[in-house]
Amino acid sequence: MRISTVRFWILSFAFLIILVNPFLNYYFHFTFIQGWYQSIAIGKLWFVSPLEGLEAILVSKTLYLPLIIAMLIPILVALFLGRVFCSWICPISFFSELMERGLSLFVKRRKDILVVPRWLLWFSLVGELLFSMIIAAPIFVFLSPPGLVGREIMMWVFFKRFAIEGVVVIVVMFLNLLTRRFFCRYLCPLGALLAFIGSKRRLRIAKDDNCVNCGVCDRSCPLGLNPSSGDFSHYCWNCGECIDTCPKKALSFVWLGTDRRC
Amino acid sequence: MREEKSNHPLALEEENFSRRGFLKKLLLSIPLIGLIFSKKGYPFTLFKSPVGRNRLRPPGAVPEEIFAGKCIRCGRCAEVCPYRSIYMLDAKWGVWAGTPLIFVEDVPCYLCMKCVEVCPTGTLMKIKQEETRMGLAVINKRRCVSWLETALCRSCYNACPFKDKAVKLIELKPVIIDDYCTGCGLCVHACPINPKAIYVEPVYSFVRVKWK
Repeated sequence: MRISTVRFWILSFAFLIILVNPFLNYYFHFTFIQGWYQSIAIGKLWFVSPLEGLEAILVSKTLYLPLIIAMLIPILVALFLGRVFCSWICPISFFSELMERGLSLFVKRRKDILVVPRWLLWFSLVGELLFSMIIAAPIFVFLSPPGLVGREIMMWVFFKRFAIEGVVVIVVMFLNLLTRRFFCRYLCPLGALLAFIGSKRRLRIAKDDNCVNCGVCDRSCPLGLNPSSGDFSHYCWNCGECIDTCPKKALSFVWLGTDRRC
Repeated sequence: MREEKSNHPLALEEENFSRRGFLKKLLLSIPLIGLIFSKKGYPFTLFKSPVGRNRLRPPGAVPEEIFAGKCIRCGRCAEVCPYRSIYMLDAKWGVWAGTPLIFVEDVPCYLCMKCVEVCPTGTLMKIKQEETRMGLAVINKRRCVSWLETALCRSCYNACPFKDKAVKLIELKPVIIDDYCTGCGLCVHACPINPKAIYVEPVYSFVRVKWK
């Protein structure tokens, strides 16, 4: 099976959880699973998004052990697998994927209209953290698009209304029209933090000798990277799109240390 | 008069438009109505804390000084609350968007302490039920019928989960004992006088944070 098909199913399933869960909570008082991808609890197993947790620690200048323990699994996943949350789970990624699949029915090839330097991603992370600490309120926790998707669904189910800040999600979707995954590429502080943690990740994409430099993979990369020239830097989020499109099957996932190619 | 109206070009256009796009307009306007005429549509603030009279944080909340920074807006407290007491704010409240707030006049806190158990950041600290200090109930003696001696009412006394500790009846008049009042707001919800003769003041929310 193609990797992108599996990935799309996982994205759909991850979105389904945050879509169905508020209904279960509200109408059936079934609270086995709570929250969304800011903090999700499955029974007593807690997950906290690393950036949200980090901001809470930095801004309030207090430590709370359960918070750090809840951040552990996401950090370990990012450490070994890289930025996989973004490409395999994030609801914004799911919406973008749906949008791209819809658009591809009408437009054959889309060009990236607005291309800015990639280091803007790091600037976004540092700037966001500093600004949060200056105004003593974490910006990303109430304006994070992945979190907002969950919050808007929950607000609609619980209070029959939407929060105004949901506009951010719509803006992010509009930016997608400009450049593929514009927000994920250049602006997402959470993506930046996960990319930073995963800069020494074990799961990577490697190219073998079958490559004929046709450049099909370069066009398929949602982040606009160049897999053909071996560009699997910190920015790569292991989505496997290039592996699927390669006509020569020259690209594959490798676990660092077990493969001689890298 | 009627003829004049129908001959007017604008009137025709409007009629045409409403016929064509009525359903579409209706569908589009549902979320917008929710935005504009929300039940808790209070004026816009940016940094000012939303906590105030009868607007309280859930049990065990840290002081407002660090609340905005500590809370990660995951909404789990609101999701587990079996009484739907906890409301979630939106960006109209500025940086407090997504934080939980209890409007005790609508639904008071029943002190089940479920929200405290699920908070992942320690914004709602784990404390005992009777040690909760969401605020302090205050009786308006110029409005309370028992104090005015116009009627015999003990609604607040009956509603209080810590009867004879937090609320005492002294000569048939309710008196709040601040050593035991948790500020849950059950008395406010129960008060039959309109406007309410009892309210909860969040006196503990604005204390300075102690460094240990």
